[in-house]
Amino acid sequence: MVWFKRRNLITFILLTFFVYISMRLTEFDLTKFKDFRNMIDFLSQWFPMDYSKLPAMLQDTLETLAMAFLGSILGLLIALPFSFAAARNTAPSKLLFHSTRIGLSLVRSIPEIVFGLILLTTLGLGPFPAVLAIMFHNVGVLGKLVSELIEAADRGPQEAMKAVGAKNWIAYLFSVLPQIWPNVLSHYFYRFEVAIRTSLILGFIGGGGIGQRLFNDFKTFQYSSVSLDVFIIMLMVIAVDFFGSYVRNRVI
Amino acid sequence: MIELKHLSVRYPRTVQDALSDVSVSFQKGEFVCILGKSGAGKSTFIRCLNRLQKPTSGEVFLDGLPIMDKNEFEIRQVRREMGMIFQHFNLIPRMSVLQNVLTGTFGYRHSLRNLVGLFTAKELESAKQVIDDVGLSEMLHRRVENLSGGQKQRVGIARALVQQPRILLGDEPVASLDPGTANHIFTLLKDLHDRLGLLTVINVHDINLAKRYASRIIALKEGHLIFDGIPENFTENEFHETYESKPKSVLFH
Repeated sequence: MVWFKRRNLITFILLTFFVYISMRLTEFDLTKFKDFRNMIDFLSQWFPMDYSKLPAMLQDTLETLAMAFLGSILGLLIALPFSFAAARNTAPSKLLFHSTRIGLSLVRSIPEIVFGLILLTTLGLGPFPAVLAIMFHNVGVLGKLVSELIEAADRGPQEAMKAVGAKNWIAYLFSVLPQIWPNVLSHYFYRFEVAIRTSLILGFIGGGGIGQRLFNDFKTFQYSSVSLDVFIIMLMVIAVDFFGSYVRNRVI
Repeated sequence: MIELKHLSVRYPRTVQDALSDVSVSFQKGEFVCILGKSGAGKSTFIRCLNRLQKPTSGEVFLDGLPIMDKNEFEIRQVRREMGMIFQHFNLIPRMSVLQNVLTGTFGYRHSLRNLVGLFTAKELESAKQVIDDVGLSEMLHRRVENLSGGQKQRVGIARALVQQPRILLGDEPVASLDPGTANHIFTLLKDLHDRLGLLTVINVHDINLAKRYASRIIALKEGHLIFDGIPENFTENEFHETYESKPKSVLFH
């Protein structure tokens, strides 16, 4: 037993215990699958797919993409200046550093769906409140992620830019941003992907897009349309993933 | 030209001064090399000259005027007259040679013009001129991360020159280069120094380079100034005095 120490054993026992507790709390029970015939029955209604509403579905897909793109890109643009204030090495003052940090984690702690539900009350149904909900949440998330990239950036160029007599904010901008840019894009594309999934959920509460169509088709028992909705969503997510890695490779 | 009086630096959470009561003055036209072991305070010394490091006590005079109490705006005016080159070159990655050199003009220009990258024909011309001076005119639009170490340091020198400095500072500028390249860089620095009539102050590990190029050598040991004179007077004795290690010199606790 060279590989294992007593601490490993204790960790193992604790983990087993937590897995057991979590199973009890979530009513995890594989024997329930004895009724799996219901699921097959249900899924068989999904096929064959119904292509009659394809043009409208594609239009909704575009709307979803637009929601996710706009929400995440606006989030990034707003987050960038905040992230410089929220990074220990570039913050103009201690006070601003801490307040920006706290502000960002407050915004981050509110889920998009809560933003969406609140905004619905003034903006009504549709994609606009969904875009804002995605944007707010992404300001919090990207602000934190980018500020961590800034803190990890090489100090050398920052020092060089100060040594030429540049103003602090110009020095930081020019020395840090080119360094972290590929990683910023990487984070952005991940958040864009997440935003697509989020906008589907926001569709369930009336945020428009393919998510809302999926929800409506489901609630009206049009399963042959549901299957096509799901298929289109899968294709969209895969396509965005490919596009993201293409852009990252071009940038690096 | 530049004078240091009783300069001391102690970093937070250390018990010993990194630089201890150093007084020295430099004149235009001098090519000064600073020798000393790692941790002797060479880097701290250089960085005090353009106040990248703020001394704990003491004063630095530039043309007879103290620079310690200057505000941020005034410090930037001091810094833009001093070009600085670094061991790790400290270039901005993902930018071209020309773009990197143009950042050397930032101290003279309005921040908004820097932000959008509006340069006058004259600024572009002088950037291209200094790139030509360091022998990189073929690589104007090459990204700096694709250059060799020696070429990177040439870009660093060009960036310092475009500031039209009166003083050139070097913090171990050849420590990451092979001996041949290091020699080339020093030849270039010496030529530029003579042509532009600069004051040059450089940290260097290699005592042979110092003896060959310097007009004056300064040696630091554990933050103290232990030698100041012409290279001919820096002999075997001084060498041992500078580089011999005490068995129990503990800097941090």
